[in-house]
Amino acid sequence: MNTQQIFRDKTDKIVKLWVEAVINCYPDRSRPALSSNMDPFTNPVGGMIREAAQGLVLAISGADIQIEQIKKSIERLIKIRAVQALSPGEAIGIIYLFKPILRAEILPQMNKPSSFSEYLDIESRLDTLAMMAFDLYVRDREVLADIRIKEIRNQYAELKRWAQNLNSNAPLGTFTGCGN
Amino acid sequence: MAKLPTPQMLMASRPDFPKAAWLDTKPLFAPGSYCYPEKKDTMELLHMPNPHDWDPSAEDWNLPENWEKILCDAFEERLEKHRSLKLFMDICVRCGACADKCHFFLGTNDPKNMPVLRAELLRSLYRRDHAMLGKILGRKIGARKWDKEVVKELFYYAYQCTECRRCSLFCPYGIDTAEITAIVRELMHEVGLGIHWIMDPVKNCSFTGNHLGIQPHSFKEIVEMLADDCETVTGIRPKTPFNEKGHEILFITPSGDVFADPGIYTFMGYLLLFHELDLDYTFSTYASEGGNFGSFTSFNMAKKLNAKMYAEAKRLGVKWILGGECGHMWRVINQYMETYNGPTPDNMVVPTSPITGTVFKHAAATKMVHITEFTADLIRHGKLNLDPSRNDHIITTFHDSCNPARAMGLLDEPRYILKHVCNHFVEMPENTIREQTFCCGAGSGLNTEEIMELRMRSGMPRGNALRYVQQKFGVNHMACVCAIDRATLPPLADYWAPGVNVSGVHELVANALVMKGEGKRTMDLRQEDLPNVDAEEDQ
Repeated sequence: MNTQQIFRDKTDKIVKLWVEAVINCYPDRSRPALSSNMDPFTNPVGGMIREAAQGLVLAISGADIQIEQIKKSIERLIKIRAVQALSPGEAIGIIYLFKPILRAEILPQMNKPSSFSEYLDIESRLDTLAMMAFDLYVRDREVLADIRIKEIRNQYAELKRWAQNLNSNAPLGTFTGCGN
Repeated sequence: MAKLPTPQMLMASRPDFPKAAWLDTKPLFAPGSYCYPEKKDTMELLHMPNPHDWDPSAEDWNLPENWEKILCDAFEERLEKHRSLKLFMDICVRCGACADKCHFFLGTNDPKNMPVLRAELLRSLYRRDHAMLGKILGRKIGARKWDKEVVKELFYYAYQCTECRRCSLFCPYGIDTAEITAIVRELMHEVGLGIHWIMDPVKNCSFTGNHLGIQPHSFKEIVEMLADDCETVTGIRPKTPFNEKGHEILFITPSGDVFADPGIYTFMGYLLLFHELDLDYTFSTYASEGGNFGSFTSFNMAKKLNAKMYAEAKRLGVKWILGGECGHMWRVINQYMETYNGPTPDNMVVPTSPITGTVFKHAAATKMVHITEFTADLIRHGKLNLDPSRNDHIITTFHDSCNPARAMGLLDEPRYILKHVCNHFVEMPENTIREQTFCCGAGSGLNTEEIMELRMRSGMPRGNALRYVQQKFGVNHMACVCAIDRATLPPLADYWAPGVNVSGVHELVANALVMKGEGKRTMDLRQEDLPNVDAEEDQ
């Protein structure tokens, strides 16, 4: 049996276990709300976890999948974890919560000389996904820093423009581009 | 040799997280999670109680010596004054209907941001001193005593609620958690704890008029600068009447729209619309901030700042007040103004549109009409010449601002206008709009940059719904009717749905408005190229 076939039988269970493991990172009183409501708009974090689980398991299994597609599936979850007052390790470490699940669910069927290297490939793909998640995380943190600066500028944009006009004696209304 | 922790240990992915009971799990004052404290001299100027220097991240908040007595007395006084508060303390059955309705809970996943538990922070103190069972059974039924950690906890969570009242919509008892938050903020102020981004505008609005404290002559010059911009775009320079007596209408709007991008374009929209109508109106420099930062502080401060509107209406002798696109301004007007500062001055009458003759009977008490009610009425009567194709590059959605939507039921007027000034309008998912709208995440004085990280998680449910319509329908614009939204939604969109622009409704109105005597329009109010402009014809 090759990797794809093994995953075909196990995908639903791996997805379920990983979703549970990620939800278990949140305080116990918050978990029922995250796991019970399936609406992506009134339980957005729950929806993000489930969306990411599907994309990640597909990628881990070695299926033919575009990098952009994987990124799209984890993008929202990384975005929210990037601003949930977590350390960078905590934020993207969720990817590694797959490892004990894979070792319990997949490894027993591949723990033989003919397929062990394929199992190692699976864990290597997990490393690649963690690196992708880290890139997304850093991008999000940079956006966060940028929008903070942009907001400070925008708040006083007209005031600055008015003050600059006073100094330069330029006619009022000359567009100086500040705040953009 | 110490062993490395496993990823699971680092992630705290375990059934018993957190280990302590919820009452004993205390918030961490990490940068990005709390607002900067107010300045001592600001509080002194405003005669606020117990002004002092303090730092939210410090162990000791320098509370006054008798802080516990001050808080107990202040709480008791409010329980006597507000029957609603006593009811809200007594009647909650902790059914949990509100639990997952709060955008702060959905974004932070912190259980104490469930409205029921946020209220429980105060209710636990109420039980000890004001409920018989609590007095007898104490902690067993969730009663607890005041201590300094409790004060910190109350402060932390009172500024993680935007008083948007989405939770109230789902409460079978109609408990208004926003009022509980407002009371907690009042209590915090009794021991000198407030935040800079609220108290500085309160000071400026008290002493000068607008929220930045810009002197009247400078304020007027900035507005004139915007009128010049209008001329650049349309060839028409609208008038900018200030503090003139004897006009029919006083126009009051948030001062943020005079200073901040992209709010200024909405303000330019007002100028152009009023010019086109030849409206008999004036601005006031004293009542130049429609938004009421006092409502984020205390009921008394809200009353004081709100009083400027009628004071100016009386001084200038106007018949009624037209109000701009603002959020909490309209909650104060609809729900508190008459009690605070009514009845209206004798010179005021029930508002009647001078253009259509429509009598705005619903505004008979306050004599204040919302600009979208006014404009929707104009469009309904065919009084505006509109070319919606000028907004053809826009596929817009509409964000219902919490207070106009839930506190005054303003749901259809902005949509009616948008559908007449834009050809492409798309709604966000139905459980995120109208009465069920998700907050921008930074209302009630939380639109300050030091908590940008908090804002991005609390605004996530709104950002998430926006991202959905962006990806599914190509939405590239979100209109709203609130100045705080115009300040807070652009960063939220930049984070969650990059590529979506934010504007007020009247920016789009002015773009579509075909004015008498205007030059050929090639630019929108942002001085960006309009679509459908024939280049050859242009030459």
